[in-house]
Amino acid sequence: MAETTLPLTRQRQKSRADELKELTYWQAVWLKLRRDKITLAAMLLGLFMIVITLTAPWIAANLLGFSPTDTNLRMRNKPPTWAKEAWPEFQQFATSCQSASCDWSLWPQIFSHSAAGIRTCLQAGPGECHWFGTDDAGRDVLTRGLYGGRISLRIGGMVAAVTMTLGVTLGLISGYYAATWVDDIINAIILTLSSIPLLFLLIILAGTFPIFRTPEGLSFMLGIFGWMGVARLLRGQIFSIREREYIIASRAIGASIWRIMFRHIMPNVSSIIIVVAIFDIASAIIAEAGLSFLGVGIGPPLPSWGNMMTGSLGSFTKAPWLVLTPGLFIFLTTLSIYLVGDGLRDALDPWIKE
Amino acid sequence: MTRYIIRRAIQSFFLVWLSTIIAFTIYQAAPGGPLQFLDDDPKSTAADAGRLQRLYGLDRPILVQYVVWLAGEDWTPATPQWRSGRCLADETSCGRGILRLDFGRSFYFKGRSTIEVIAERIPATFILGFSSLIISVIGGVPLGVYAALNRGKLPDHIIRVATVLVNTVPHWWLGLLLLIILGGYLGLVPLSGMETVGDGSLLDRLHHLVLPATVAAIGGWISFSRILRFEMLEVLNQDYVRTARAKGLSERVVIFRHVLRNAIMPFVTGLNGIFLLILSGSVLFETVFSWPGMGRLFITAVNARDYPVMMALFVIGSFLGVLGLLMVDILYGFVDPRVKYDITQ
Repeated sequence: MAETTLPLTRQRQKSRADELKELTYWQAVWLKLRRDKITLAAMLLGLFMIVITLTAPWIAANLLGFSPTDTNLRMRNKPPTWAKEAWPEFQQFATSCQSASCDWSLWPQIFSHSAAGIRTCLQAGPGECHWFGTDDAGRDVLTRGLYGGRISLRIGGMVAAVTMTLGVTLGLISGYYAATWVDDIINAIILTLSSIPLLFLLIILAGTFPIFRTPEGLSFMLGIFGWMGVARLLRGQIFSIREREYIIASRAIGASIWRIMFRHIMPNVSSIIIVVAIFDIASAIIAEAGLSFLGVGIGPPLPSWGNMMTGSLGSFTKAPWLVLTPGLFIFLTTLSIYLVGDGLRDALDPWIKE
Repeated sequence: MTRYIIRRAIQSFFLVWLSTIIAFTIYQAAPGGPLQFLDDDPKSTAADAGRLQRLYGLDRPILVQYVVWLAGEDWTPATPQWRSGRCLADETSCGRGILRLDFGRSFYFKGRSTIEVIAERIPATFILGFSSLIISVIGGVPLGVYAALNRGKLPDHIIRVATVLVNTVPHWWLGLLLLIILGGYLGLVPLSGMETVGDGSLLDRLHHLVLPATVAAIGGWISFSRILRFEMLEVLNQDYVRTARAKGLSERVVIFRHVLRNAIMPFVTGLNGIFLLILSGSVLFETVFSWPGMGRLFITAVNARDYPVMMALFVIGSFLGVLGLLMVDILYGFVDPRVKYDITQ
């Protein structure tokens, strides 16, 4: 019998879709992520923020030469050292704007003086230059900003952990037991928590009980009152997954409820969970800043991005760096978080068409 | 429909009741108790504490204190078990209970009743809240429509990037920044308050209002434009829009009569948390702009441990929040006849 080869097997040009099919899920995610330059840049920015806050003690001691708690009453509300000459000129410009028309001729002077100031600052050793000025107790604002980041980022992470634990568990349960009494109870809790003024409650709790003004206590409190969105989102997702064939099949072979929930349902919503958790970190940082700004968050000896602005209310026109610096830190951090979250949302769905 | 309204009303009643329990529990559980400020005073003795406890009736059983706080003590038997020392001594100073809007006397604003202190702050909060609501609707709706009609094009991208950027910083911080630039350096807006002392003219008030209201509107602006963009895109794909176009209606009629009218419906539900949003927003924005409203009063009360004012503001806030949810839920049924109030839903 003559062996016949099949001449039909054409050498097919591999398409991108086929290429994707051969990859595992995480390989595909990485492939997609690698081509997304904005997300990669945002990840680098986020990593940078984490590194500079984690190494804050080293940076403060070796590069800046200040301690976050050392007060210096002769240096209260001083402008950045490099702007020693430029700052009065800028104020002069601002005054000219208020009285008549702006005196734009001051700007070349401001620029040259700041440039010269920055040059001397770069050459100066640690402890000689306040890059972002000093606060109302003469402490270095940049050092406090770096240390504040340790608190703010820690709170962001802890709040996300608490909201995720509560939100995912309750969301899974209420989605799986939809339209039963278990679901009703969870819904009632969600309805209650979303119809009372939560910010008022948070402020009363933090103002009354000192334990909620520690980083751990504050995170716990923010988490306890912040899981409803996650639970609601998951409930809806699970409600639709619950009726799919593979779940029914799994139930038919006698898998336990927990196995179905955590092995079959959870992986299908894990991308949503990751993205929501990332966004949660950002909103926790913003919430902490608000509470601390009002004076009911992290207490004074510890710096946080929120409480650094508390003392600024009386003097912000004279010392805008007190407002600008913490805000800039918040902006860079949350911006990177939002962009990474946004990028991951696309990347974690790698088989979707571009 | 009636059944649904009754059910929601009962639910709302329970929610407000729950908020009174929460407020009262915190008040009772506060470390050091409501008379904690005595500890800071070196001249106060244990006898003083006892006397004040009797005077304010803090020595009564907790349940009695709660009932009396809710319903007043003027109807109770005239025994120390039921009435506070003040009430026993003088009939007219008996508490009348929060159900009759008597929240007791403020600790911090000496000698004034809590409800009086709060009442004079309510208008300021509502002026700021509703003007920011109007600004966010006026700004957000056209923005959402514009973004939807230009989906995937440059304006849509610009709007999306701008909203992401604005959401990355606390909005009150933006307010602080604008206050420094516009108020401090350019002198365009006043730095604080609701009106210049001695000048209460409408123009002066508007001058003070414009920056706080705009900044407080940012959040609503963004979420309204997002909701509307989403709803518009949803409706634009409907068959009846294609039909409207097919029968030769002008694009303007299609957009305004057929698309916008249907897209705006779910938008109404977006308004249900509006009272809560205004109240929560009031705390931060009023602090930043030194606006004499309920939010700032609340912060003052918390810092001064003024429990009657704190509790009253929380209960009133919950009441307003629940009322807002209920009203919009019911209103929605009238605005959109397609909504069926299904009990099982």
